[in-house]
Amino acid sequence: MPDKEEIMSKIEPHAIETPAQRQNRHKATEAITVLNTLKESFKKPPEAMQYFYDLFLEVYCRQKSLHSDKTKVGTMCIQIPSEIIYALDCVPIRLCNGFYTDDEIGSDLLPQKACPLVKASVGHLASKNFSDKPDMIYSPTTCDQKTKAGSTIESFGYEVVDVDFPRTKESEISREFFRRSIRNFSADLSRKTGNKLSAKKLKASISKIGYAQTLYHKLSELRKNKNVPILGSDMFLVTNAFFFDKIDHWIEACEKLVAELQTKAQEGFHAAGKVSPRIVYTGSPPIFPNYKIPLIIESSDAIIVADETCSSNRMFNDRVAVDEWFVNDMVDSLADKYLKACTCPVFSKNDDRIRRIVELVRSHNADGVIYQAFAGCTVYELEQRSVLAAMEREGISILYLESDYSPSQQGQLSTRVEAFIESLKIKNRKKT
Amino acid sequence: MKYFAGIDIGSTAIKITIVDADKKLVGSKTSGSGSMFYKYAHETLDTLLAELSLTRDAIAYTVATGYGRKIFKEADENISEITANAIGAVAAAREFGSIKTIINIGGQDSKAISLDDEGNVVNFAMNDRCAAGTGKFLDACAMNLEISVEELGEKHFSATGTPLSINSTCAVFAESEIIGLLGNSHSVEDIVCGVHYSIAKRIVKLVKRVGVKEGIYFDGGPALNQGLVHAIENELGKKIFIPPYPQITTSLGAAIMGVDSYAYQNLENIS
Repeated sequence: MPDKEEIMSKIEPHAIETPAQRQNRHKATEAITVLNTLKESFKKPPEAMQYFYDLFLEVYCRQKSLHSDKTKVGTMCIQIPSEIIYALDCVPIRLCNGFYTDDEIGSDLLPQKACPLVKASVGHLASKNFSDKPDMIYSPTTCDQKTKAGSTIESFGYEVVDVDFPRTKESEISREFFRRSIRNFSADLSRKTGNKLSAKKLKASISKIGYAQTLYHKLSELRKNKNVPILGSDMFLVTNAFFFDKIDHWIEACEKLVAELQTKAQEGFHAAGKVSPRIVYTGSPPIFPNYKIPLIIESSDAIIVADETCSSNRMFNDRVAVDEWFVNDMVDSLADKYLKACTCPVFSKNDDRIRRIVELVRSHNADGVIYQAFAGCTVYELEQRSVLAAMEREGISILYLESDYSPSQQGQLSTRVEAFIESLKIKNRKKT
Repeated sequence: MKYFAGIDIGSTAIKITIVDADKKLVGSKTSGSGSMFYKYAHETLDTLLAELSLTRDAIAYTVATGYGRKIFKEADENISEITANAIGAVAAAREFGSIKTIINIGGQDSKAISLDDEGNVVNFAMNDRCAAGTGKFLDACAMNLEISVEELGEKHFSATGTPLSINSTCAVFAESEIIGLLGNSHSVEDIVCGVHYSIAKRIVKLVKRVGVKEGIYFDGGPALNQGLVHAIENELGKKIFIPPYPQITTSLGAAIMGVDSYAYQNLENIS
């Protein structure tokens, strides 16, 4: 892993940097700091993780383009079916961003109190610092802030298309609504690219993403064991790479990771300590390099064994259920999956999310839940109450934290996390 | 005789407590944290040991806690101030009865901790986002009013009429609110009383988040301020218990934790 000096040696002493240079330098610092922490602050990571460390370094520090030969379709949220994008010979790039540097750029364009993820995503698009610049952007109308961000992004000269998304998911109306919306989306992308959506290609891309999901589930199975062979923070990096990586490369790297971890599991390797409490992570998504809370948790002698976030579990958990393999049926099935299986707090009722968290706690034998909400991410802030009450009913310990992208506050946050972890340890000690 | 040290390196003060193997308080010392946590912590420890005619060798186990805990590398263990506070409060209030809720106002944050019947932390809430409702806020107010922090308590009880309300959620803006009140020729006493009630309201909100249970304990430096205690009791509608030395609760907890950890580890070594 190169150190900061190598990446920054480009800068002449006393030269005044352009804003883009300065932003890139700040972003490189953020990226390298997190990658080095992942590599050096814990037990030796799996060798197969090297692929992911290198990938993030290349993309975020050296602005390496991965998809120069393809039409790049930016997506503002999780609800745009990647299967359709791949079937139309394009690549999806999820634009959700985790850089504090971009958050600061976004703060000049959106209200100060807006969600850091939205500010960073907007800031990133405003900065024009790209490894792969999206050719067009599809913006599902999920939360207020993402919905409104679309028009700000449009003002930077991007083509932004709204994809209507319902805020209820239990009614038949919303199901029909979103099916129509996804049909429109696929027709729009097909028209723009001049590529026809064929049954063969769509079936192939559904099965490819299905395979990626299988790999995720294999990793998830390994994390159910008493000895957990991989840190949660490393897992976030793996799933985060799915946002933008070449899918075939990602699959290959994950196959290697699964194989290595299966061997490690047989050898009884455990990535954390003997008494480290097992944590389920939920709430606002950790997106590289904002791994602030996962890293605080795992450096406080605990291990994240599962998560319920849209940057990880929510992307991979549920499969597409296709009735008939005709194009229209597949498109409708995809719409159903991206709506019905989604546990995003934008929905009016979201009991699915609570069920998912409880299920993960039980299946992964977790000791407690840590719930992070970004300050300004209203929907996660709002849902805090019902989730906390539900966990109390279930007898599951939970800690609620509010954080943002700023590097400050580490001391306060780690005090809370450590106190929570200590209380879990004391409980465990008394159990035995 | 073996002794155990608890070192609480807080944002404003360093508190060191020494207990014996029976967890009985042997001595304690408080000093300012300043900018050199590490150096001052060692100096304070040495002074305390000298006062007690002990040497460092007599200390069998040291536990560090507080924001600066990781700086004190010589400690055998370090734990968060929330766990330490709970252990210390349960011990300090033994004669008083059982403790279920702890209110702690520190230099740079305030906390409410909820305990179960066995004294384990079940829930906690913290205000660490802003200085309003912390010891620093009291410092700033006293400075504005040209009185010392120690005088705040007695001024509180000379206030007349309804306490003034200070609404700002930010310590800096609260300062300008105080200046505004002074400009409207309100008395220092009334303002002090208002400041105490504004902190009390904030604290009570925090306590409600973890649940108000009988057996409320209040510690941290500001617990020395009787005016503030009065305001919190009024806002809660409940009596609260103030230990004889509210500042050292957390370091006492750390020292007691040291006794247990030492026993636990040496038991392990034998078996």
